[in-house]
Amino acid sequence: MSLTFYFFLAIIGILFVLFVWSLQSPKRQAPSAGPPSAIPQDLQGSHISHLPQIRRALAPADFEFASKNIPREALRRMRRERRQVALAYLSALRAELDKLLRTARVIAALSPEVVAGQEVERALLTANFLWRYRMTRMSVWAGFTPLPQLNHLSDMLSAYSIHLEEAIRELGERAALVTEMVSSPDRRRIHPV
Amino acid sequence: MLVCARMPEALTFEKVLWGVSFFLNTGLLALLVYGKKHRVLPFFVLYLLLNFLQAIVLFGAYQAWGFFSREGIRIAWTTQGLVSLARTAAVAEICYLVLAKFRGIWRLAWRLFTAAATLVALNTMATSRGSWQFAILNLDRGLELLMATVIVLLFLFVRYYEVAVQPSIRMLATGFFLYSAFRVLDDSILERLWHTYGPLWNVLGTLTFLATLLLWSWALRQKQEQTTPELPLLPKDHYRSLSPAINVRLKNLNERLGNFWDAQGEKT
Repeated sequence: MSLTFYFFLAIIGILFVLFVWSLQSPKRQAPSAGPPSAIPQDLQGSHISHLPQIRRALAPADFEFASKNIPREALRRMRRERRQVALAYLSALRAELDKLLRTARVIAALSPEVVAGQEVERALLTANFLWRYRMTRMSVWAGFTPLPQLNHLSDMLSAYSIHLEEAIRELGERAALVTEMVSSPDRRRIHPV
Repeated sequence: MLVCARMPEALTFEKVLWGVSFFLNTGLLALLVYGKKHRVLPFFVLYLLLNFLQAIVLFGAYQAWGFFSREGIRIAWTTQGLVSLARTAAVAEICYLVLAKFRGIWRLAWRLFTAAATLVALNTMATSRGSWQFAILNLDRGLELLMATVIVLLFLFVRYYEVAVQPSIRMLATGFFLYSAFRVLDDSILERLWHTYGPLWNVLGTLTFLATLLLWSWALRQKQEQTTPELPLLPKDHYRSLSPAINVRLKNLNERLGNFWDAQGEKT
């Protein structure tokens, strides 16, 4: 076979992979977000309220104290459980980010004019964020417990949420309309969440 | 429908396949017209109609001049050009049906599709060879590649913006994608092995078309949901004010995360 054939084979292979991937429903559409048309009331994020406990659970001082007072087996279990807590916390952060990004997409989808540069920029920034998020997650999973990363992620999400809260308030008037739109099966499933 | 310009007369299997796909195409066309779906999918119906007419014209041409005659080959490729153009219009129609309700992202998608079309056209020109047969073959392959690319871009948009697509439309698009992808590969092999691969090219092409017709028939038998012509949109200034602000916030997020990693590096 010629080089041309392999060239087109590679292109078709890439297109096929993208096609199959695009047909799959995104994980963020899992039925976890409550009523589909609900607008979140607490956009500043529930994660903030849990942050002190998470920080305490992962603090080296706390771990040092425990290591002097409990047997090794219990200490190992404690470390494992705390890591699970940190991972669950990170998953919650990610879910919150997804929810907020979906709001941004709703605004884009329901706007009569969309600027390509803005959309591309957002996609790149989101990819960047997600990459860093994964690094943090891997770090926690490996047992490094990077508290500063958790703090920063939380700060970032808070800032993002606060700004969007204002946006959502503006959209409030149209919530009923959008709810009606998404509830009809022949229309679309974008939710202002 | 695949043009059988190089079809050897002795191959009964091919003729049977050709006949089956002709009747299936006719049945699908009748189903669409009977169900009044030509109002929703006019270009798709036009494409099937041209396929139907092409089969009749080719049958007459091959009867009159034979499969390997110059006239037969010319008629075959000319009609194939029309059918390919109609298919391109049908793919554009599917993109329109899916995205046109969302005016903003439809305009964005349209620009992206045009850019992709330009790239594919340039690629076609770059990979074309001298003779007219190869030029037509490359044009055919270029169009198929364009359609496959546009359908993939469409579904990427659909996934990203979480746009709901009717199952029947999704399956129509899937049929177009699979057929186009296969044709690109089929044409690429034919370009290399023009003489030896010819008969097999016809058989595989006709089989792909048959499979696509079956998929479309199944898709169009499903109950179609009614579509809304237009969605109420937000005022322009919502996007103009919010989108840049959201991006600035995202930039801040990334910068803070970047600063953190830098600080960690310095510590270690």
